[in-house]
Formats: sequence, C-alpha cells, structure tokens
Amino acid sequence: MGTVPGQAIFTDVPVVPPKRVGLMRKVYRSRADYLYVLPAIVVMLIVIAYPVYYTIELSFFKTPASLQLKDKVFIGLDNYAYLLQLPAFWKVTVQTLIWTVSSTLFAFVLGLGCALALHREFVGRGILRALLLIPWVVSAVAASYVWKWLYHSDFGAIGALAVQLGLTSEPINFVDNVQTALPSLIVVNIWKEFSFAMIMLMAGLQTVPDQLLRAAQVDGANAWQRFWHVTFPHLSGVSMVTVLLLTVQNFNSFIIPFIMTGGGPVGSTHIWITHIYEFAFQRQQWGRGSAYAVLLFLIMVLLGYFYVRALTRGDSSRAGS
Amino acid sequence: MAQVVLKDLVKTYGTVYAVNNVSLTVNDGEFVALVGPSGCGKTTTLNLVAGLIPITSGDIVIGERVVNDLDPKDRDIAMVFQNYALYPNKSVFKNLAFPLEMRRLPKAEIEQKVMAAAKVLDMTHLLQRKPRELSGGQQQRVALGRALVRDPAVFLMDEPLSNLDAKLRVQMRSEIKRFHQDLKATIIYVTHDQLEAVTMADKMAVMNGGYLQQYDSPAEVFANPANMFVASFVGSPAMSLIPLEAATNDGNVVLHSSEGWNLPLSAANARKANNAKSKKIVLGARHSTIKLHKSAAPGAVPAKVYTVEPTGDVTFVQAFLSGSVVNISLPPSVPVSSDEQVWLEFDQDRIHLFDGETEMALHAS
Repeated sequence: MGTVPGQAIFTDVPVVPPKRVGLMRKVYRSRADYLYVLPAIVVMLIVIAYPVYYTIELSFFKTPASLQLKDKVFIGLDNYAYLLQLPAFWKVTVQTLIWTVSSTLFAFVLGLGCALALHREFVGRGILRALLLIPWVVSAVAASYVWKWLYHSDFGAIGALAVQLGLTSEPINFVDNVQTALPSLIVVNIWKEFSFAMIMLMAGLQTVPDQLLRAAQVDGANAWQRFWHVTFPHLSGVSMVTVLLLTVQNFNSFIIPFIMTGGGPVGSTHIWITHIYEFAFQRQQWGRGSAYAVLLFLIMVLLGYFYVRALTRGDSSRAGS
Repeated sequence: MAQVVLKDLVKTYGTVYAVNNVSLTVNDGEFVALVGPSGCGKTTTLNLVAGLIPITSGDIVIGERVVNDLDPKDRDIAMVFQNYALYPNKSVFKNLAFPLEMRRLPKAEIEQKVMAAAKVLDMTHLLQRKPRELSGGQQQRVALGRALVRDPAVFLMDEPLSNLDAKLRVQMRSEIKRFHQDLKATIIYVTHDQLEAVTMADKMAVMNGGYLQQYDSPAEVFANPANMFVASFVGSPAMSLIPLEAATNDGNVVLHSSEGWNLPLSAANARKANNAKSKKIVLGARHSTIKLHKSAAPGAVPAKVYTVEPTGDVTFVQAFLSGSVVNISLPPSVPVSSDEQVWLEFDQDRIHLFDGETEMALHAS
C-alpha cells in the first residue's frame, strides 16, 4: 500500500487509551435504572426465586408421611436415582414427548393453514377469524369438561354421531381406553391452542413484503413456490418463537389431562406435570415430587434459553450495522 | 427484444381512473421513461404491462402477442423493483438462478447463464453472499442481474434508483444507461425524478392524473412542452409560468399585466396568442432564457427580487413578476440582492405561450 499524502500528520499523535470505567462506577451511574426495576425484582424473588430454591432443597430430602415437614431426612441424590430407575418415569417421559411434539406440530401446521386461508380477502373473513379464536379464549377447564362429555363412551356426541353415520357399530371408547386416551387428549390440546399459532402467523404474514411476492410472480413462481420461497422463509422467526412457546406450554400442560383423565387409565395419559402432581399431592412424597420438578425446571430453562435467543436473534447484527 | 404497444389502456379502481386511455408505442430497443408526480399512474401502468394487476380495458401488445390475459411469467418480461426485492434467505447466486429454476432449465445452463450475468454486472465475487451483506448499489445490481439472466423481451424498472443515496444514484444511472446501450434492451423505466428520465431515456412519457401528457424525446419535451403541466414538471428549476392577458396596444398584440405593464409580442408569438380560446394567456420561460437588467430597458418588464441562491457556477434568482415567481439564472459575477428592483427581458424566440383556460401550448398555425 502506498502512503497517502497528509496521513503522516496523524501518525505521530500518541494513542491515549480511554479511561477504564470501574464496574461499581457503572452501576452507580445507572442507579436510577436499578431503582426502577427493584420492586419487580423483589416480587420475583419472593414468588419465584424462593419456591425454586425450596423445591431444589426438598429434592435432596425424604419426607416420610409420619413426620412433620421440618423433620425431613437428607438423602442426597437418592430421589433422582429413584426416579431415573423407575419404569413409570420413563413411560411418562415418552408420553410427555409424544404429547408435546405432536400437539406442537399439529397445532402449528393447523394454525399456519388457517392463517394462510384468512390472509386472503373473502366474504365472512372477520366472522371466521373470530370463530377460530374461540378455542384460545375459552377457559381450559370448561373446554376439558365439554370435551370429556363429547368423548363420553355412553353419552358422548362424537360416539353417537359416529354410530348414526354408520362409521362404527357402537360408540368409540375414547378416553377410557389405554390405546386411544392419549391421542384423544392431544386432539383436544391441538384444538385448544392452534388459534394461538394462527394469530402469531397471521401477524407474521402481514409483514411479508408485497414487492417480494410480485418479484417472485414475475420470476415465474406459482402460488406454492411463492409460499415456499418467499412467505415461509419470511415467517421463520415468528415460526421459531411460536413453536418454542407452544413447546414450553405443552411441556407444562396440566389442566386438560388432569381434568379429563387424571392421568389414567393405568397412567396412559400421565405427562410429567400430572405425574409430579401425583407424587407430591396424592402420595405426599414431597422429596420425589420436588426432584421430578427440578428435572422439569432444567428442561424449561433450556427451552427458555432457546426462546430468548430466537427473540433476540438479529439484535446484535442490527446493532452492528 | 421486442416492441411494446399500449392501446387505449384503462385501469379503474371503483370510479377512480388510475390510468386513463394511455396509448404509446415503445420501439424495439428503446429506453422509455414513464415520469410524473406521485399518483400519476406511472407505476400502475408498469404493473399493467407486467401483468401484476388486471387491466380494465384496452390492449397490451408485447412483440407480436396481445398479452392482456397472460400471467406475468408468460409475458416474457423481467422487472426491477424499487426495494430491489431480493430473496433475503437466498445467496446472490440463488437469487440470480431463481427465475431460471422456476423455468426448470437444466442445472448446467442455469449456472452458465448466472455466471454470464454476474460477469456483465461485475459481481462474480459477490455470488456467495446474502443480500443483507451487500450495499444498496450492489443489491440493485443483483436485481438487475436477476432481470438480465432471463433474457426477457422487455425490462420493466420501477424506480430502481429511489432507494440509493444521491452519489450512488448518479453512478447507477450511468450503469443502467450503459446496460441499455450494450444490450440494446427494450426498457420501460418508471421514475418520479424528471432528471433521471431526461438523462437516461430515448423517449419520455410524462403522466399526470392518469393521463399521458406528452410522449416524445427528452429534448423535444424540454423544448416544446405540450401543456403547462409538462412545462412545470420537466426541467430544473421549473419553467416559470406567468398568467397574463392578451391585449392590443397601437395595433400590436401585447401581454398585459395587472401590474400595468405591457409585454409586446413578436409576430409569430402574436399569432399564437390569437389562437387562444380567451384572452387569458400564460407566459412560460426557462431560467436561462430570461435576461436580467439592473435598470429599465426597452422590452424589459419590472420585477422584484425575492431570493438569491448562489450555487457556485450559477446563481439562481427568484423574482416576483406580476404576482408570479420567476426563476432566472445568472453568472455569479452579477451582484443582485433581495428586494432589489430589476427588469426582465424575455427572448421572443424562446418563450412559450399557453392557453390560460385549456392549459395547452399555443401554436402559430
């Protein structure tokens, strides 16, 4: 590289390193900011941090039903060891995975389909959109009871309809059958939460640039190709967030399985949360229940990490440009 | 390459005419600029040619085919958009290859065509990058490339330079002009910037309110604007338009101002004035054709300086004449100051006369 005339003037200027600012000084400078978030932090410490701490502590203890809780016995990692070698734990884990993955997947796909359908202009779009939102706004408890009756083997509307249409000779036993109970509950769960995916994706669809779709049209892409090459990639961010939120929610599901089957028959609809509930509040095995809850907590933290990363993705590149 | 013909093209939205009876012919290899202010119908016209919106009536002929009902992909056109419209998740190579992939060309042919286009536009080193890693100018070049690989009959460009900064715009302007010359491409180019149209196009179609106002070479449009709108739209600074009244003074035709002075007209201009529907005549003059006198001179009319804008090699003076603002350009050596009384002399051979009622240019015959 040749030298640029005039540049030499600047080379002799000594480089003064910027004064380093101490951490305490930085904290002190933003003291007002800390003050503003203090109330929220205090509340969170009381209602979140303490229960988390106490659950972790309990997970190392045995709590015999004959003793008071304060007389619990320290047993180290025994509760974890017990759970990890318990066949029921692994069975419930598989069920939880089936429950979470299939609920998330189908709710997302159904939501995407509805969002795409509602994205076009047509008569009655507003009404249809409102109708499709109903599952999301209905109380989960009420919905669970309604579905329980719809599925009922003697009085259920679905079974009756199937018989009348000649699909089956007798009503199907949806939720009292080990084979069909979990899939039946998953259907309810998908019905309950696909509207959420629909709303998220509808919002995402509105941000797809019109010019890009037109460019693809001129380039010769048909409707499906325009969706695949333009719309869907554009939705990747919102899809990621939606799938993660649904996954977290499904991992944490309680109301639908608890009300509709209580984990039965024969534990075939237990998922982690209902299983934890059974250990802690039905068998009064607080230590085991807590150890179980800690495992769930760890998975939630992991999902939470991915969620935050998906949400803030692109922040650094935006800041950098 | 091919000819494009628009015949009585109409596009309505409800009762609003976005494009009203536009007819024009773009010859094979010609660069035509559709120019006009926002909402004049120029982009709608382009989208009609592209087939992105359906026409209400009229015909569009590309090459030998009437394409009214054809899909955009079947019209043999390529389009360049204002926001580049590059596929953000695809590399530059994939962006260029996309229209060819949609046409199911063999892989080897796609690669060869993409490389050829990349070479023409000097961006072979950018092929693996994503659009967001490119500057605005590079992105626009990729957009041009994506149009180029198709080897279309017509290039349609929708304000392709509007998103670039001023310096880059000038550079890309000459690149697009060169692109046109090298490829002998038929190009329809939409812009709201009359300077782009004047500098790049073989012909310009000035539009306003959905109507085609004038369609001619930039030089002709500049020299002989068909009406007051074209006169005020093309040229920078705009042509000054001064509403006056035709009158007779000692048997000669003059333009009379409400300020009391009379501007005598030459014989040719007098004939033009006589062709007006009424006595209302609008005098038009470009800044460079007006002479400024610091004292009263024969044939010069009194005006008052409003502002003086030195730009370096030219000083622009705005003055009030008969209630209208007149732009005059002067060499920077002439000292003029605000509120100064001056006299303006018009070049009879270079003034324009417009009918005050129809706003159309007046002709001698």
